[in-house]
Amino acid sequence: MRPPYTVVLIVPTGIGAAIGGYAGDALPVARAIAQVADRLITHPNVLNGAQLYWPLSNTFYVEGYGLDQFAAHRWGLRPVHQNRIGLVLDQGIESELRLRQLQAADAVRATLGLTLTDYIVTDAPLGVQLQTGASGATWGTIQNPDSLLRAAEQLIQRAKAEAIAVVARFPDDPGSEALQAYRHGHGVDPLAGAEAVISHLVVRHFAIPCAHAPALPPLPLDPVLSPKAAAEELGYTFLPSVLAGLSRAPQFVQHPAPGDIWSQEVNALIAPANACGSSALLHLSQSPALIITVNDNQTRMQASPEAMGIEAIQVESYLEALGVLVAHQAGIDIAALSPKLKPLQPLSQNSD
Amino acid sequence: MTTHFISAEIAPQESAIKTCQAIEAELQKQGEPLRWAITHADAEKLHVEAVVTTVAEPITTP
Repeated sequence: MRPPYTVVLIVPTGIGAAIGGYAGDALPVARAIAQVADRLITHPNVLNGAQLYWPLSNTFYVEGYGLDQFAAHRWGLRPVHQNRIGLVLDQGIESELRLRQLQAADAVRATLGLTLTDYIVTDAPLGVQLQTGASGATWGTIQNPDSLLRAAEQLIQRAKAEAIAVVARFPDDPGSEALQAYRHGHGVDPLAGAEAVISHLVVRHFAIPCAHAPALPPLPLDPVLSPKAAAEELGYTFLPSVLAGLSRAPQFVQHPAPGDIWSQEVNALIAPANACGSSALLHLSQSPALIITVNDNQTRMQASPEAMGIEAIQVESYLEALGVLVAHQAGIDIAALSPKLKPLQPLSQNSD
Repeated sequence: MTTHFISAEIAPQESAIKTCQAIEAELQKQGEPLRWAITHADAEKLHVEAVVTTVAEPITTP
């Protein structure tokens, strides 16, 4: 019996990816890959569409810091049936917006049957600050990371939470050019980099699944809203997809046991063509995994596989990438699918 | 603990693993790396953006 065919899909958040840089708009790509592969490992940015998500039974929701550790062979992934989710609310969220978050959490308990522990409010406002790098990628910092970690620790120790959902108050700037561009489908998500920092802090400290949803007041109606950004303007919170994802996110483990997934089991990794400078991709490029880069998923990054010294199959689209996965899984050399096939050559004396 | 957004440059390395190690070592001069990415790569330099964390030294009475 052949081992399960495992694919990692990476679309880094906050880099203006043409596909996946908006409101869960890489989720159709994930759905298509999940149909082809036995197992798909990807991160919250790909699977979260604010109010929208799609349950994929063979897909593993792995936060970015955890994905980096997995790719570096430091952590494995242990599938679960369900996680008890602890909800951390930023003290800086005003009372009405906080109530909206709690009602969203109650909605997923009643309508989806997810298990949530009692929630906690941080002992200080987290103080999210947004930055944009020279590259055009968005980043962020928080003024009170210890307050976040104290809250998460309380949920883990006292409420036995097995996954942490964080809702942090983000700065309002409804008229900003960056937000306008994002809503119209051609900017870089101004919040994304800071969101990643928040979940990375929790995962690094506690090695537990974590994901983040920003708390923001609703935006005024925009008649030219891009379809790619539309999922984030359906309701008062971004929480439902986060809770759905965390409910079955794999636990992180450091010692293998039967049923766990480790990086040597990855058969293929797919990433945008000019965003090959991530820790996860660099580590997996040294494994037997096939690296596939997608040209039409342009980002603000300028880190091609050639510049990174990575051997990759470069395709134009995710449709083409899916074809490569099908052939690879079937054990077919993709060269055999072209009109012309060169004859075999003698091994060069210069070959490695 | 405090969080800091920083940038750094390193020389290209002979392998992807050595690249990761060189980046982590460079970032550790300014704090514990939390998240990083190579944003621009050419033959001479790898440009990195990152967030690192630092822990404040305890205040001691002289």
